[in-house]
Amino acid sequence: MRNRRIESARLPGAFLFLVIVALLNGCATTPPLSETTRSTLPERHVVDDVPFHGQRDYQCGPATLAMVLAHEGRPASVDELIPQVFLPGREGSVQPEMLATVRRHGLIPFVIPGRMDAVLQEVAADRPVAVLQNLSLPWWPMWHYAVVIGYDVGDELLVLHSGRSPRTVIGMGRFDATWARSDRWAFVALPPGALPVSPIGRETAKAISTFESVQGAEVALPAWQALAGRAPTLPLAQFGLGNALAATGERREAARAFRRAVEEKPDFAAAWLNLGLVLRSLGQIGEASDALRRAAGIPGPLQQRAKNHLDER
Amino acid sequence: MKRIARIVSPFLIASFAMGSMPAMATPSAVVDGLVTTQEAVNADQASADRERIEQLLARDDVRDQLVAQGVDPSDVEQRVAALSDQEVQQMSERLGQMPAGANSVVGALFAVFVILLVTDLLGLTNVYPFTR
Repeated sequence: MRNRRIESARLPGAFLFLVIVALLNGCATTPPLSETTRSTLPERHVVDDVPFHGQRDYQCGPATLAMVLAHEGRPASVDELIPQVFLPGREGSVQPEMLATVRRHGLIPFVIPGRMDAVLQEVAADRPVAVLQNLSLPWWPMWHYAVVIGYDVGDELLVLHSGRSPRTVIGMGRFDATWARSDRWAFVALPPGALPVSPIGRETAKAISTFESVQGAEVALPAWQALAGRAPTLPLAQFGLGNALAATGERREAARAFRRAVEEKPDFAAAWLNLGLVLRSLGQIGEASDALRRAAGIPGPLQQRAKNHLDER
Repeated sequence: MKRIARIVSPFLIASFAMGSMPAMATPSAVVDGLVTTQEAVNADQASADRERIEQLLARDDVRDQLVAQGVDPSDVEQRVAALSDQEVQQMSERLGQMPAGANSVVGALFAVFVILLVTDLLGLTNVYPFTR
């Protein structure tokens, strides 16, 4: 009799334990927003013109893409996007292919920092933010893409286009608990020339560079100009700008950009090498050789290449 | 995979030696021989040629994996072409473990249903719309 009672208490006990553990983890507390976010952003904002695309079975990836693309004036139907991003074998869409599909439609995907502040900043600037959530728990995942289109700081709410529900409202705490399980993955899709609000750096340059390899230098040029304008001291920004300019025939401007890159980073062998080649094509032979010699003097995989170019003369 | 690599590698090495451009590089229309931005981005990693060969093999591998996952072969080429080297590497190494956003309906066991219901009510998950 006694034994039986202990046994019957086991299941509720285990359940209680689970609940306590969950409570102690405290994931559902509202994520901290920095003071600057609270003071600089409007109290509430909703991006109005994000058309809603409802998902069918498993199609939240294509639906999410359809929404962010349409907002930037690149409409694509869910049916058109499915063969571009959906993986039948996984019954879902994976993150790299979400970004790749954005590139194919002429927009640059920028992954933004995994902080609530960063999401709100983008939304306040009228950019819908695509997010990956795990709606369930790590051991029983339900991965889901959705689009954050609005927020209310005072009431700690977010507005999402999600699944079959347009403009669904969710508490920031609950959202953050589900978002944290994807390591808070989020991106904005912007036309070349526009940059994320959040701090930019090397990763921003990489995003533009990948876009350029898909869409070509001419299409990517405004993005490099914007990046170099906002981060003039970022060597990779000047380098990327230099290459895009050289590829579109603007050799003098290209040389200027490469020069700025080596001023910022004197051991940037690739920039010295490109500076040398562009100057040579402009007929400035002496300066070209100086630059190539600098490239040849920096140990690394480009050293030999620079020496070969020097020998060509 | 290894065997394919052994057969393919010499050809790849030969083709690089002959100075053909790697798949991702966009040749400059005006000035020859420029280091591309993609190359400069990847320059942190070690030996460039070896890196490129691995890249091409990884791209082939991702192509095969996509077809195996049911993607129409006529769509595969463009899908792979839109990926960065880094993304190709990630997909080649761990496509099977990557989260695939789907939001499928939980065909749940009862226990799972109850637990997720409770965590939903606690605001930890967002499985059932009626808990909000």
